[in-house]
Amino acid sequence: MSVTFKTIVQYEWRTFLRNRHLVLMLMVLFLFGVYAIYYGQSEINTQRETIEAIVDLEQEEFANYKASFAKERETLEQERTHDIASRPSFAWYRHGYHAILSPHDYAALSIGQRDLFRYYYRLTGMSLHYQLFENEIANPANLMAGNFDLSFVLIYLFPLLIIVFCYGLFSAERENGTLPLLLVQSVSIRNIILIRLAFYFVLIVSLALCISCIGLVTSGNPLDKKNLGPAIIWLSGVFLYCAFWFALMFLIISWRRSSAFNAMVAAGLWLLFLIVAPGILNIVVTSKYPLSSATLAGLTRRTGLENENDENESREVIMEFLAHQPKLKGSDSLIRNNTLAKAYAAFTSLKDINSKAEVDRYSQQVMNRNKWSGGYYWLSPAVNLQNIMAQVAETDLRTFLRFQEALTHFHESITDFYFQRLFWDKPIHLKDYSHLPSFKMQSDPLNKNNDWTGLVTMALSAAVVFFMGWVIMNKKMPL
Amino acid sequence: MRKLILIARKEIKIALREKLIVSLGLLISLLLMVALYAGYLAYKQQKEAIIQTRAEKRQQWLEQGDKHPHIAAHYGTFAFKPKTIFSLFDFGLDTFTGTSVYLEAHHQHEFMFRPAQDHSSMIRFGELSAAMVLQVLLPLLIIFLAFASFTRERESGTLRLLISQGVSYRTLIWGKVLAYTIMITALLLPFLLGTSLLATSGVRSETISDVTVRALLLFLLYGIYLFLFISFSVWVSFRSSTGKNALLTLLTVWIFFTMLMPKTVANMSENFYKSPSMRVFKAQIQDDIANGMDGNTPRSARMAKLEKEYLDKYDIDSVQQLPFNFEGVSMQAGEEFSNSVYDHHLGNLRNIFSKQDRLASLSSLLNPYLIVQHLSMGLAGTDIHTSLHFEDEVEQYRRGLVKEMNNDMAQNSRYGEFYEYKAGSDLWRRIKDFSYRSPKALDILKNYKTELTSLLIWLTLVLILLSFPDRKTTRLL
Repeated sequence: MSVTFKTIVQYEWRTFLRNRHLVLMLMVLFLFGVYAIYYGQSEINTQRETIEAIVDLEQEEFANYKASFAKERETLEQERTHDIASRPSFAWYRHGYHAILSPHDYAALSIGQRDLFRYYYRLTGMSLHYQLFENEIANPANLMAGNFDLSFVLIYLFPLLIIVFCYGLFSAERENGTLPLLLVQSVSIRNIILIRLAFYFVLIVSLALCISCIGLVTSGNPLDKKNLGPAIIWLSGVFLYCAFWFALMFLIISWRRSSAFNAMVAAGLWLLFLIVAPGILNIVVTSKYPLSSATLAGLTRRTGLENENDENESREVIMEFLAHQPKLKGSDSLIRNNTLAKAYAAFTSLKDINSKAEVDRYSQQVMNRNKWSGGYYWLSPAVNLQNIMAQVAETDLRTFLRFQEALTHFHESITDFYFQRLFWDKPIHLKDYSHLPSFKMQSDPLNKNNDWTGLVTMALSAAVVFFMGWVIMNKKMPL
Repeated sequence: MRKLILIARKEIKIALREKLIVSLGLLISLLLMVALYAGYLAYKQQKEAIIQTRAEKRQQWLEQGDKHPHIAAHYGTFAFKPKTIFSLFDFGLDTFTGTSVYLEAHHQHEFMFRPAQDHSSMIRFGELSAAMVLQVLLPLLIIFLAFASFTRERESGTLRLLISQGVSYRTLIWGKVLAYTIMITALLLPFLLGTSLLATSGVRSETISDVTVRALLLFLLYGIYLFLFISFSVWVSFRSSTGKNALLTLLTVWIFFTMLMPKTVANMSENFYKSPSMRVFKAQIQDDIANGMDGNTPRSARMAKLEKEYLDKYDIDSVQQLPFNFEGVSMQAGEEFSNSVYDHHLGNLRNIFSKQDRLASLSSLLNPYLIVQHLSMGLAGTDIHTSLHFEDEVEQYRRGLVKEMNNDMAQNSRYGEFYEYKAGSDLWRRIKDFSYRSPKALDILKNYKTELTSLLIWLTLVLILLSFPDRKTTRLL
């Protein structure tokens, strides 16, 4: 066996080297991979630069506020800045905090939804929903075309490579008339096919893993604690995905039809897994869980008190708001001071409180969509792998939904900070600037489980397909 | 002519014997139906939701109560992007363009809510629309049908026989093209009849006035596209030595056209022409409004100049003596200034986008898939140009609304008074409800000169290739 094994592998290696097309294809795909890594990194670097610029803007803003405490205030301008810095009735809606979803190191390899969602927000104490729905600038045509990132190369192009390498493994022997020669050998035709498949498997998987490693190493240190798990999942995903396609080719070969037939079936299946299945899932989910953002649009309306001069109206609004705020209980004794500012703060907060249910319903529906389609990822290993990669790189929908949730909490801590001072009539001191609210986002333990489920599903489907091929292969007589 | 029909008949018979091809054909027509049905559902859902919300917002505007016109201008209203009837056929960019916008004084808000944001990253695989079936899946069927059209005859030796009988290559080629054209037409016939019935039965669409013209142009477009693919496939088969080679060539071309090239071009255009981030874009606008476009004419200076103009014009010493409220005038002047700043910056941004899109348009010279993708979206009213036209109309509406409010303030309120003056529903009613009509198909097509030219080039090229089969190929006998 070992001798035959060696012979077959040697023969395969020689034919491979002689076939200029195949070698060229591997090289082209490798270059595509390198370009994809470069492209992804340049996209994410642009985002990083934007984030840096934004952080600078924020630091500058707060440095100005802090500086206004130290200086003698001479000009009107300085006086104004100091008012904004120290008086909560200005500060609550003027101080802007950035909530930033920094890209994971591996976001460059799988851009996912990162070009579609906003990854930074500037929040003030004003109504959250007024600040939440603005989009980032993007060319819709390019959004539709999608990103040429490493995940695209691995998910779309590697299967094609596998198809081209394998579709004729058996049929070509028959078509070239070499099949009878193989059949008289002591080793069974099934084993010959398997060894040859294994040869190409090693070849192509090595290339896929090699490109992946280049991507993983150049985008971040894979040994880093936050990168190690993702890197392992990424590599396992790539391995299993290739394994699935090889199993599928084995199944197609086992029917022992002509090369052209194999190529057609393989191309059809590629189309099924990469275009048709996700395409259908997407339209089904759209009509099964209809969503109309039109209803949410109304929340962004900038409204104010009906009549600012009407003291009673202001009073009512403040009292209604305080009923929701146990921490501010008792501050109504100070209602006479600064009534208008308090009324406005109360008004926009009440707006959020009242529209919360509607926003939550909307997010819930988006979650439902995500959950429903998640139940069908097993239908297509391509969708499955794309999802795993997006999760690993934190560019998936769940991450952005979590970001939105974290935004809500952050906004709460901002309003808390200012309203404690506004409603209790306390000025903002310089020392308060050392414990300003800051943005935090918890990591998500669920994602990891999802990754493993995805990987297991892929391994299972590869095994099932391979088994089917094995059975058919054994059943059919040669020729 | 008889020979041609004979060849075509034989070709159809052979194709119908292939189980794989017949089942693929059935599958594709099934997918076409599913896609159309789902497209229809989404169209209906969105349309109803938009009509309902629009009516709500209109009512809110009309019943906002008595208030100062400027507060009403801030209260504002909303515009929603309507779904065109053809969006059920070609979703186009609808999934990636914002759908609603808040219209108020002083601010040009951006469109909010891109539908793709309500999806998992799976949405990036694309949605199955009828247009996608015709643009991507049907070519694959054509490839499967036609790749062996010549190689089979060549491999089995019948090509020699045919030629020795005096059939010219040209007749053979055209016979085969005819056969596949008939088959594809037959496959699409129910769909064709259905849509033409719809198009002629006088479907009225609020946003699209020329449904029939667009439908006819779409037929023509897809007809040409599929014919191009058929002819090209037959020609490749004619030039290939074996069926395997023909198939591989065609599949490679197909992948390159429909998958690789659109993405690569879009990504490269993004690298060549960088668009700014929203934060920077807005900050520049704010900065220019605060300090003037030249950076040293602040608002106060502009207002002083305006005041002086009016004082000189009416020959008075203070604006209080004017027969109208100067604050309304200054408000409108401020509005117009910020509009011009916005137009300047938006113009720059759109310039970047149009440069990016230009690259895709130019690539259509090399790729018929891009031609059909762009033109189909254009005719369906789901393309970037219709989208921009809509945004412009919305902005015009907003400006009209704000201007009306400012004028009313100038005419009816007194200087220095704000809460004392209140306008009522008479004024609100004077603002008409916003309704959108897309430009005529022929106007939209003016944006697609490159695509139309390349369609013509491709068609001519293919016709030449088919009509003058290269003599050298005889060695492949």
